[in-house]
Amino acid sequence: MTKDPYELDVRPLLKSGSDPFQAIMNAVDGLAPGQPLKLIATFRPVPLFSVMAGRGFAYLDQPLGNGDWEVLFTPEEQVDEIRVSAGDTDLDTWPDPARQLDLTDLDPPEPMVRILAVVEKMLAGEVLFALLAREPLFLYPELAKRGHKWAGNFDAAGETYRILIRVGGRKGHDNAED
Amino acid sequence: MFGATLSRWTMSYFAAALIFLAIGEMMMVLGFGYPASSIDAPETLALVHTITLGWLSLLMAGALLQFVPVLVGRPLSFPHLGFPALVLLVVGITSLVLGFASLAGTEGLSPLLLPAGATVTIAGLALLVIVFAATLWHARPLPLPARFVAAGLGSLVIACLLGGTYAFVLSGLADAPGAIDLTLEGVSLHAALGLGGWLSFTTMGVSYRLLTMFMLSPDRERRSSRTVWILGAAALGMMVCIVPMILAGFAGRTTLLVVAALASVLAIGIYLADIVRIYRGRKRRLIELNSRAGIGAFAALIVATVIFVASLISGQIDKGVGPLVYLITFGWLTGMGLAQLYKIVPFITWLECYGPLLGRMPTPRVQDLVVETRAAFWFRLFYLTVAVASVALYLDNAWLFRASSLGQLIAVNALVFEFVATRRLSNVPSNLRLPGGPTGPHLFFPSFQSRRQP
Repeated sequence: MTKDPYELDVRPLLKSGSDPFQAIMNAVDGLAPGQPLKLIATFRPVPLFSVMAGRGFAYLDQPLGNGDWEVLFTPEEQVDEIRVSAGDTDLDTWPDPARQLDLTDLDPPEPMVRILAVVEKMLAGEVLFALLAREPLFLYPELAKRGHKWAGNFDAAGETYRILIRVGGRKGHDNAED
Repeated sequence: MFGATLSRWTMSYFAAALIFLAIGEMMMVLGFGYPASSIDAPETLALVHTITLGWLSLLMAGALLQFVPVLVGRPLSFPHLGFPALVLLVVGITSLVLGFASLAGTEGLSPLLLPAGATVTIAGLALLVIVFAATLWHARPLPLPARFVAAGLGSLVIACLLGGTYAFVLSGLADAPGAIDLTLEGVSLHAALGLGGWLSFTTMGVSYRLLTMFMLSPDRERRSSRTVWILGAAALGMMVCIVPMILAGFAGRTTLLVVAALASVLAIGIYLADIVRIYRGRKRRLIELNSRAGIGAFAALIVATVIFVASLISGQIDKGVGPLVYLITFGWLTGMGLAQLYKIVPFITWLECYGPLLGRMPTPRVQDLVVETRAAFWFRLFYLTVAVASVALYLDNAWLFRASSLGQLIAVNALVFEFVATRRLSNVPSNLRLPGGPTGPHLFFPSFQSRRQP
């Protein structure tokens, strides 16, 4: 979901000698979720980059030729859009994927069947990376039952779902019985 | 926790719904209600509510209990209300239908069954509205299909309030002038909000999601689909606005009704174009029977819309309303319901039986639970009887209608038999049938042990 950026030109404020910081922050507060901010200023607003990074925005700056600068602040992928399994899921400690699957061309529930088949053959602690055409909503409870952890989200275009699955200890077989 | 689990009571809702459908079909075969009786006779009302509440609403409720979590990606709120709601609905709808039968002069039935049945039915529907509304509320911002469901639930609430009012007026318990005005003038609103808002609009929203899922079509929200929602919701909103206008005696109601009708027709037209695009844009070349059988339902919706527009233009809406409502109820809603049941029942059964075993031992595919060639014949017979019965109604030929209803009763019962075979895993090769142990799924009652979540 890409949205049109909100455009804020602070050159008039700067030329009149006032501080545009508050106007910029008001604009940021008024952005829709996922909406970028396009800022036009009379200089390259370096101090603002770290302020905006702290609020979760990446920047892309370019000179406009006449000494003015245009900066596009784009919200980085929202953390809450990543869906993770319940409990302690610290992705930084996960190893690189040992297996990769592209399941985007399979109709449901075949992706779920393939993922569970591969996961059963992997070692505890290993990670599987899979691409799917849909969010595998019926897979999650089955992964949880078998003691696996997962994290997933859609790509920027919203067309491919990416999921990382870390294989849990082999207590899954017992869990299935209860 | 994200994700969707099996809905515990969905199969029970489906079983109750199919029983009501079979009863309704038998009423038509026996010549109970329209066209043997007039279109507003109590006999017809008994038949209409057996089908719209007993069959279609229970079917929709069961499907939503399973698929609202899929639409919004989070579990149901208050899932334990599903069972009490089902009990209230079965008791309430049965007494409501018997209440209509008592108005029709059936001996030994109290006319108080009508308001009592309406009250119990509304209580059951209220529980379901709480479940779905709370789930949707917690899932905001809603994806487009879920917004259709929200508008459908709103229509259901108003349709219920109107229906409850009629039940009290018709049984003589209420005689307030406003209630009588609503009974005299609001019946078409009650029908439009029930059939159009609750049943059709919700079906349209859910179909956007399920059809793209079953056929692997692009799943992006289209601008055209958003237009369908806006037009449809606006049309339903206008119909709701007519209720206070009737109470206050405002003029201009007909104009608003015509505008709402035009918006609905436009919405249906854009929706059907979307559906054609979903079928054409599919990645999957061979489609399964549920998607093929769905085409019959879309064809019925097209024909019904054309008849509706033609009778609006010619000003003969009163004459054409019988065949029109029949085509919407049986061709579009019942056809779509049976077609999607043919996918949902095997899928739920497969997940219930084989989900825990996947990857650990050989398991059948979902399609191993059905025999499409057999069911395809019954779907053809079903749509043929819908077509013949619609023509019979148009020609006012009660005998042809009863004969085609008999064919339809046979087709429906054969499909019920197919669903039972699926639940019993009868079509699965015996070496794959029950690799995990001796117990199969219950026919329509949840198995409590296997569904507990850790």
